[in-house]
Amino acid sequence: MLPLVAYTDKLSVAPGEALSVMVSSFGARQYRADLRRIIQGDTNPQGPGYKDQPVALDLGGSRAAVAKGFYPGSCVIIPGQGMLGDLRAFTLALAMRPSLIDGRESSLIALPGFARIGIDAAGCVFAEAFGTRLVISAAVALETWHIVSFSASAEGGLTLAVTCERDAASADIAPSLATATVQPSPCRADEVLIAATRGGDGRPAGFFDGKIDRPALFATDLSHEAVRRLLADFERLSRQRSLRAAWDFSQRMTTQVICDISPFHLDGRIHNAPARAMTGWQWKGQELDWKKRPDLYSAIHFHSTDVYDTGWEVDFTLTLPEDLPSGVYALRLVPDGVEEDAYYCVFALRPPRDRVTGNTVAFLFPTCSYLAYANHRLGMDVPGTEIGMGRVVEMDRHHMFLQTHPGIGLSVYEVHDDGSGVFHSSRLRPILDLQPKVKSFLGGFGSNIWQFNADTHVLGWLDAIGQGYDVITDEDLHAEGLRLLSRYNVVITGTHPEYHTRPMIEALQGFTDRGGRLMYLGGNGFYWVVSFNEDMPGIMECRRSEAGIRPWEPGHGQFHHAFTGEYGGLWRRNGRPPNHLCGVGMTSQGFDISEPYMLTPDAAEPRAAFIFEGLDCGAKIGDFGLAGGGAAGLEVDRADPAQGTPAHALVLASSVRHTDIYLMTPEDLLDPTPEWSGTQAEIIRADLTFFETEGGGAVFSTGSIAWAGSMAWNGYQNEIAAITTNVLRRFDDPRRFEMPRDRQS
Amino acid sequence: MSRYRIDRSDLAFAREFLADPIGYHSPGLQRVLNLMRGSGVAGAGEIPFKYVLVVEDRHGRWRLGRLPLRRGAPVELVEGVVYTDLIAAERDIFSRRWKDLTGDDLDQALSQP
Ligand SMILES: [Fe+2]
Repeated sequence: MLPLVAYTDKLSVAPGEALSVMVSSFGARQYRADLRRIIQGDTNPQGPGYKDQPVALDLGGSRAAVAKGFYPGSCVIIPGQGMLGDLRAFTLALAMRPSLIDGRESSLIALPGFARIGIDAAGCVFAEAFGTRLVISAAVALETWHIVSFSASAEGGLTLAVTCERDAASADIAPSLATATVQPSPCRADEVLIAATRGGDGRPAGFFDGKIDRPALFATDLSHEAVRRLLADFERLSRQRSLRAAWDFSQRMTTQVICDISPFHLDGRIHNAPARAMTGWQWKGQELDWKKRPDLYSAIHFHSTDVYDTGWEVDFTLTLPEDLPSGVYALRLVPDGVEEDAYYCVFALRPPRDRVTGNTVAFLFPTCSYLAYANHRLGMDVPGTEIGMGRVVEMDRHHMFLQTHPGIGLSVYEVHDDGSGVFHSSRLRPILDLQPKVKSFLGGFGSNIWQFNADTHVLGWLDAIGQGYDVITDEDLHAEGLRLLSRYNVVITGTHPEYHTRPMIEALQGFTDRGGRLMYLGGNGFYWVVSFNEDMPGIMECRRSEAGIRPWEPGHGQFHHAFTGEYGGLWRRNGRPPNHLCGVGMTSQGFDISEPYMLTPDAAEPRAAFIFEGLDCGAKIGDFGLAGGGAAGLEVDRADPAQGTPAHALVLASSVRHTDIYLMTPEDLLDPTPEWSGTQAEIIRADLTFFETEGGGAVFSTGSIAWAGSMAWNGYQNEIAAITTNVLRRFDDPRRFEMPRDRQS
Repeated sequence: MSRYRIDRSDLAFAREFLADPIGYHSPGLQRVLNLMRGSGVAGAGEIPFKYVLVVEDRHGRWRLGRLPLRRGAPVELVEGVVYTDLIAAERDIFSRRWKDLTGDDLDQALSQP
């Protein structure tokens, strides 16, 4: 498998800046590092051949490879700040909604070493204190709110009580009870953990899968009924004299901070990014947007599979040379002298922050889309993936590693072990599929590569035609917007730039509006809304609401992102359909084979003459390629005026059939009938599209992920590569594009 | 979970698949493949794994593996089964699935009148 894996602290770094590398051994004893510029990562013998360039930079000799491991699972950690030591009588209470009972013991709230409430392997609530354990014999109901209280009197009377808060229940439901009498002893705990406890190694352990709402700690023993009344009324609760702490998760939801509403302010922090802004115990559909009624969104959904920062110790830090040209690079880590087992830590060397490089072409390295797919397990976890692939699932070495080490963290294509959707993906962990050479599930018959490795077909083409370029990342674009883009004449996308934040979309639209030129060399682009979090660098949120081809839904009332409050889902539903920006929008997908495009009458328009200049192609283009054997395929976009394609846009060529694996996207499949498939429905096609903008700019869109796989065919010597080169040459020429007079939009 | 059950009336689709495993398929063959490749059949006869191709040498050599349904469970390699051609692998896995789902040997079924 993989003897070592690693990650860097950033995916984008500028010359002169430092980059830290975190490595863990999974069998390797030692390793050596070198720096390489990645040119072309596809190892398909039918392709142009793997190509990288070593950079002469001394990264030190052999280093010991240390095993560090993965520690997934989210919780809340609250330092006691000296406010727990005097506890004699106490009550711990919370509302909880379990979503997974899987034979593990989990903790709901713990004062480690003193008291704890949890759910045992059989699904029964238990509580422990003073060396005594109480258990409620009936198992909890999944996906149902329960109120749990655990009290100890000064005389040593312990009471554990649970009520199941079914919506139809009356107010005076009788609790399930367990009691005991013990000899009390002083509290030695100096922290509170919610949804976990401390394990023997000092790390959080015993993670809970499910929601917790309004956990509270009182310095007296309260009856369960009193607890239920107080938890239902935060205003009264905060004035309760016996209250030691009560955590209102609906405060500061966009941050990692957890607020205590008691006057002691025992505030804490979340660990490993559980889902915030989730419907709480009191939510009954009154409001669907947490920004309008945050009080109803007082739950956190914790998962034993959540990951934010893998947190490995730094192995080494390097400074990128000032004179190293912008590009895609990798730290290659060779374990025990076996080059074949090398791990590639890929990152973008962006241009300097304070000066231009002179390059007028930028490749937009789509870190949001890489993050969305980071360590994705589609072919492994989702049986239907093989149907969409139309061929058997290939498991490359990194897939075998993922299967053995799910603790590396999931992608936003997976569900957690409890079946709920994965909202978050972080770059502060190894991303095994962000490497050259790796194969994938969805890349089509042929090279079968996806995202980063497929994008190296574009990098390889730029290298083959001798085009100088800068590499900028989604995170750079998010942070610097049009200030960064205005350095360039042309922005070139990757093959699958699917995920974008609002600042990114706005910057790209502002760029083409003001005369910039966009080459969208992919499919399914500009599809999903994602957000970054100012308090948690490196993590991204995606809530897949309402439509789109999606592996899960975020749950009722939970369609707004916690990081920003934005409405999650498709950009098409948020006033920014991809058709506005690039003329086409997602229409279908299939991962078996691809098709050629057929030229349309629009291809003969004088406005498009530069695109086909010097080419002697027939009516059919791109009937070859490394991604399914054609230029149109995998995920395909159509031009559609109803979705905002400019009226003057030229559709130069279209694919005219696909296999019946290609079906309609749900957002367009309003009334499912059996004819919406690739051999039957005209709407299932890739449209090669070009249009000018009012500001003198222009847009060229392939509407197909497979396009770049055809560019790389025959050593980049073919009409698809030539068309792309023609477009790039004209787009890089600052001469204005004029809007057509007769076809003004 | 699939409601469809494969039987001898699907032999024509088996022939179609073996002739051309990748690409355009008749609706009847697609239905057979949906069962074989999807989430399986409900109840008795449920197959607790998926056949996968474990890459030994990218674009050159694959082992046949059984991927369990549970996340994190180890992939089991099928002893002695190595492929050097993806089309041959598709045909072999189709035959194995036919046997798993019908109890019949596909070669034998095809040679019977
Ligand atoms: Fe996609």
